[in-house]
Amino acid sequence: MTDNLQVSEPLEPGSGLSVGSRGVFRRIVLPILVIGVIAAAIWWLESRGGDDVSPTGERYGPVELPAAVRTAGLDIGTEEGQLAPDFLLGSLDGGEVRLSALRGQPVVLNFWATWCAPCRKELPQFVAAYDRHRNEGLVVLAVNMQEGKSIARDKAREFGMKFPVPIDVDGEVGDEYRLLGLPMTYFIDRAGVVRSVFSGPLQERRTDTDVRGAIEQSDLEQRIAQIVGAGPP
Amino acid sequence: MERGEALSGRVQVPPAPRGWSRTFGVLNPLKAVWWLFTNVRFALVLLVVLCSLSLLGVLLPQKPLAVRGDAMLEAGWLKMQEGKFGFLTGPLDEVQLFDIFHARWFGILLALTAVSTGAYVVSRLPGAWRAVTQPRKRVPDRFFETAPNRLEVAEALDTERLEEALRRARYRVERFDEAGSTHLFADRFAWGGLGTLFTHAAVIVFLLSAVVSKADAFSSPLFLAEGSTLPIFPVRDANQMQVELRDAKAQFAADGQALDYRSEIAIYRRGEELKRCTSTVNSPCTFAGYKFYQSAYFGFGAEVQVRDLQTGNTIYRETLALAGTAKAPHVVIRDGAGTVLVDQTLVLTDELNGKDFTYRGTLVRLPSGRLVSVGLQTADDGDERLAVLEPGQGDGLVQLSLAEGESGDSGGLQVSYQKAEALPYATVPDLPVPATDAGAGTPALQLSNVVYGTDKTSAGDATLAASHGGPAVLTLTGLAAQAVKLQPGESVRVGGYEYSFLGQREFAGITVKRDRSDYLVWVGAVLILAGLMATFWVPRRRFWAKITATRTVMAGQAPAHARYTRELKRLARRAGSAPETLKDEH
Repeated sequence: MTDNLQVSEPLEPGSGLSVGSRGVFRRIVLPILVIGVIAAAIWWLESRGGDDVSPTGERYGPVELPAAVRTAGLDIGTEEGQLAPDFLLGSLDGGEVRLSALRGQPVVLNFWATWCAPCRKELPQFVAAYDRHRNEGLVVLAVNMQEGKSIARDKAREFGMKFPVPIDVDGEVGDEYRLLGLPMTYFIDRAGVVRSVFSGPLQERRTDTDVRGAIEQSDLEQRIAQIVGAGPP
Repeated sequence: MERGEALSGRVQVPPAPRGWSRTFGVLNPLKAVWWLFTNVRFALVLLVVLCSLSLLGVLLPQKPLAVRGDAMLEAGWLKMQEGKFGFLTGPLDEVQLFDIFHARWFGILLALTAVSTGAYVVSRLPGAWRAVTQPRKRVPDRFFETAPNRLEVAEALDTERLEEALRRARYRVERFDEAGSTHLFADRFAWGGLGTLFTHAAVIVFLLSAVVSKADAFSSPLFLAEGSTLPIFPVRDANQMQVELRDAKAQFAADGQALDYRSEIAIYRRGEELKRCTSTVNSPCTFAGYKFYQSAYFGFGAEVQVRDLQTGNTIYRETLALAGTAKAPHVVIRDGAGTVLVDQTLVLTDELNGKDFTYRGTLVRLPSGRLVSVGLQTADDGDERLAVLEPGQGDGLVQLSLAEGESGDSGGLQVSYQKAEALPYATVPDLPVPATDAGAGTPALQLSNVVYGTDKTSAGDATLAASHGGPAVLTLTGLAAQAVKLQPGESVRVGGYEYSFLGQREFAGITVKRDRSDYLVWVGAVLILAGLMATFWVPRRRFWAKITATRTVMAGQAPAHARYTRELKRLARRAGSAPETLKDEH
């Protein structure tokens, strides 16, 4: 019985490793090693996607709206009348886009993907609208959802998209904007307030003239007029 | 007198309750449930009921998947069943006999069977384990008279030789010497005793796999054109992956029977191409636990591009599936000398609606420059004939009207209506049309001179559409007054837009699946195989022998198919017994 309790005897003569030191290894060193390996693995997984981090080390995705551009009395959200949530994303041209940095300019924020047929069909409308209204400060942000630059770049070039095409690699910005599907477009005025939200493809102008002979505006034109004319210039 | 009293003499012992009375006599509901679930009869009843209902589910029509969940479609489907089941349709639907395998009560029955089987395994496991690891090595003398397999030898066998015979037969032998007798216990394939438990465990694993499959299985059917990409998950999924169809291939037998479909696909995640592989119907491509099966193929696609000439930008680029068909007459026109002037399948592009007929035709320019309009005229009663009209000869007047296979002469021409063919066709309402040409009708595409699947990527010579060799021709109507015909790579400018036919494309259906219950099915399969092999191939054999000065008695336990009495005789002979001393007791 006593023999069984002699647990601190050296396991091997001369080895110097006793059961006591083994206990320290099990209780302290091993857990630290395991935690260290797990932490290293997480860090590696997080850091290996170079496209997810800006050159300044800031992670791409939704970011806190700076206090300087917040408006008292307005909540942050994606409903009409709310301040549009801020985000930072890398774009196709190698630069990056921060929504709050565009304060003072009307923004058409469109979420699209190359696989989305309705998105493809409405893209020429954004291209044309951008050409028409860029002198009024209009910015079109065509956020590509979770596709690679190689896939999006060809389509952007082909369709003549001269405006920024940010890439939402993880879909986190889309998540923040509560996307119901693609395409989905937010019209944000110069004050950063969401003026209208359109889910689905925007309708092109249906007819050249109506019965009174006036040109009927497309959905896009009506909504752009709303954000170009609203808020401080 | 009570039985207990008779046995004990002084102390009154109540009789041991049995079965239900043992369970409910003590009013322990937990014990009652345990007893119920470990009861073999209950399990058998469950299995019989399940089998009967499954059979019923095969015999009775079950609601198709497309109908389930849609009240209107379900009502329509039930209406159809009334013709067969009459007044019983309602009650049968009420008790979900038209949807047995999705009925809640069927699921409950399955769960009960799983629990019952599980309880059986758990309740038998300790006993079975003990029987394997601590078998009963000594049996009472009475056992040698009642054992199902027994043998008496009218002499004292040489114990050493019997032991040796048993060992040579790969038994594990133990010997117990007593005054006047020697006892032997031998055991072979002891672990085979667990075979039944393995089989039962397999049933549980199979049921568990069904539950996992229902709860966790993922399936996403995608239909992709060559060169296009589709996501697997709904938008916003953090683990989003995209599948790109790089090339679709189909192989057909000479009779048009599909032999093989395969697709070259690329899989993307977070914008990176992570895998490029070939997927077929039976050999899916696998990535990140998902399997990418080729599930469908379609060979008539056309990639069309529209450019705004003012900006140079593409405003439309789609690969369109021409899944509809348009009738196209194959016509041969000869001159008076019999020289063939026209021998082709005509793509009908012009439509004329008369008072009591519809005419779809096309202008055919003969080598002499003469124009004739040839088309199909459909009367209100559905009668369809080839009609030949000649401008200037009284517009709207039919010079010739032919049924399929007929020939006739008109204005010095001999016209033969060979047969009616079908061309791939699709209307494209959203194809950009120049404003100046609006009103030409809904844009539509027809593909002629094509085989099913492009010659570039597909093998075989199946021709579901007319093919007379040469490059495919895409006919666009609805852009302008005149139809436009393009070969692959060609473009045409109409009212400020440039229309290009980039080429014939194929489509593939790729079904992305993940079913982690696969692994459980494999585990179950291994268990059931191990259990069946243990039970039938290596059945457990237990042997007891008592050797006295004048006789040797042997008894054994093994499944009936092991024919164990024969083995007892063989062992006795090997131990040196004379044949005449063997007294077969069984």
